[in-house]
Amino acid sequence: MRAVSYRILIVDDEPEMRRMLAALLEGAGYRTVQAASCRQARQACAAEAPDAVLLDVMLPDGDGFSLFGELRRGRDLPVLFLSARDEDEARLRGLGLGADDYITKPFLPQELLLRLGAVLRRVYGGKEEDVLRLGQAQVHWGTGTVERPGGTASLTAKEYALLKKLAANRGNIVTIDALCSALWEGPLVGYENTLMVHIRRLREKIEEDPSRPKYLLTVRGLGYRLAREETL
Amino acid sequence: MKLKPLFQAVGLIAASAVLILVICLAGLLAFILQTSQMSQSWNAPVSAISDSLSQENGRYVFTGESYLEEDGLWAMLLDESGQVTWQWKKPEELPEQYTLTEVAAFSRWYLEDYPVQTWVREDGLLVIGAPQGSTWKYSFATSMEVVNMTPYWLCFLFLFSIACVLGISALFLRRWFRRAQQARDEARSGWINGVSHDIRTPLSMVMAYASQLENAPELPPLRREQAALIRRQSQTIRDLVNDLNLTMRLDYQMQPLRRASLSPAALVRQTAADALNSGLEEKFQLEVDIPPEAEQLTLEADGPLLHRALSNLVQNCIRHNPDGCCIAIGLRQEGNDCLFQVSNTQPPLPEDSPPQQEPPLPPGAAPHGTGLKLVGQIAKAHGGALQLAQRDGQFLCTLRLPLPRP
Repeated sequence: MRAVSYRILIVDDEPEMRRMLAALLEGAGYRTVQAASCRQARQACAAEAPDAVLLDVMLPDGDGFSLFGELRRGRDLPVLFLSARDEDEARLRGLGLGADDYITKPFLPQELLLRLGAVLRRVYGGKEEDVLRLGQAQVHWGTGTVERPGGTASLTAKEYALLKKLAANRGNIVTIDALCSALWEGPLVGYENTLMVHIRRLREKIEEDPSRPKYLLTVRGLGYRLAREETL
Repeated sequence: MKLKPLFQAVGLIAASAVLILVICLAGLLAFILQTSQMSQSWNAPVSAISDSLSQENGRYVFTGESYLEEDGLWAMLLDESGQVTWQWKKPEELPEQYTLTEVAAFSRWYLEDYPVQTWVREDGLLVIGAPQGSTWKYSFATSMEVVNMTPYWLCFLFLFSIACVLGISALFLRRWFRRAQQARDEARSGWINGVSHDIRTPLSMVMAYASQLENAPELPPLRREQAALIRRQSQTIRDLVNDLNLTMRLDYQMQPLRRASLSPAALVRQTAADALNSGLEEKFQLEVDIPPEAEQLTLEADGPLLHRALSNLVQNCIRHNPDGCCIAIGLRQEGNDCLFQVSNTQPPLPEDSPPQQEPPLPPGAAPHGTGLKLVGQIAKAHGGALQLAQRDGQFLCTLRLPLPRP
């Protein structure tokens, strides 16, 4: 399914944890490299050139935060922190290191894979993600156009941002407030009506029957949801 | 719980104040006793000496040598004109004749640096002198006003010094207690942090493998269901550990409150959306009730913490209604308070009924544990409160937070 097989460096001092993560990532089509300490991680980073790092905060010969600084100095390597302590999150935010994501132990395998996938997509992009398929309609992100059997329509900047936000959370409800803050800055009171106008126009472009939408669904009182392909 | 050390401190301070008072009084008493004996020589019995000097046949007869000899005193008698008419061991440098001014001066101060006492007799003035430098003599006069004020001043000084003692000792005691308290708190929080850390790593593996087994197509459905159960229960343990940790951090004020301006309506919608997105089972219905006027409300609050509180209330409804129910999240304004209401019924209570018809549940009773305790703590940290009401097995949780003053 994945065109490129990314190489992930797993840094954790717990051997069982490393084995579990490696099995999980390999099962999802990634290649893995393991390191049990900061020293090993530096070596592995130099020798194997991983595409992303899963980094535990507590390591026997140092903490993940300083290692993160070192790894990032060379190149823009995506790093996901793994931590078992609540206070690490606060520290991470306080430091403003710019880590790509932060996952608190314990986590569900799907959660880790989703977040890792999102980070890799964000950093390296992905060919297959350039097109969003909604039934017969195809949204081309590169050109900002919607291609349908009836013809091609261009998306306005707001419609594009709206669809992008919904597509990024496909299958999930995105609240009116989250959509508004993706579209506008500042206080958001009173924007709901304008949002509805944009939604209606967007439906006219992507839905076969805009009055009975199949993809861009309203969740009454909460927000909107872009239906998943398989649920149709 | 914190009252006992307070009482102890107050008792200790009071006891030390009493002790200081007793020591001061005892010292004063001892001083008075001691000096009253030493001053005996100065308080030579002038009247007795005078009585022992008598005139017989125009000559003076003195029998009181014993009074004078011991301390090296001397004596002389002046007549009305200031002339010395009798003397006993009078120092030679002293004159034989005294003017009125000289008498007035030495009766008050010293006679040529000799401290003297005087005694008025029928035949003149008896003067008893002590050796130079043996006695400090001071004539004291003051207005009655000062005399009357003296007790008050003494009282004030005494109270003031007691207050100083109390203040200083209170300061020291407080520091002492605080240090002890800090050590205990650190030990406790360190322990909880350590335990939660050590639970989370193994729990990661339990959850991950259980989840993989749950999704393994080669396993029979029963086994997969069992794996799902392990995964769900592990998640419960995870939530519990997270809640315990946050509870502890709020208890010991280790969780800084990051207040920011936020819309409670958006928060309610986000909580509901998150609950639905995380796969709420079909048997549960989620209703959001935000009247138009509540859309305009703004709170100064820690968004992630409030989100946690509302999610906990929703999770609480889910956990205690295994057969499914309708969960309603409402938002109201009441006076200067913003009310988040989570209930497992539809429209919770009539609008105009008093907020608490049922007695609030005592802490620890019925359907709440760490999750609800945490909600209460979050409310308290924001200056609000959590109210719980129960009616026919239906629960209404009201999270009441004060709105910022305009």
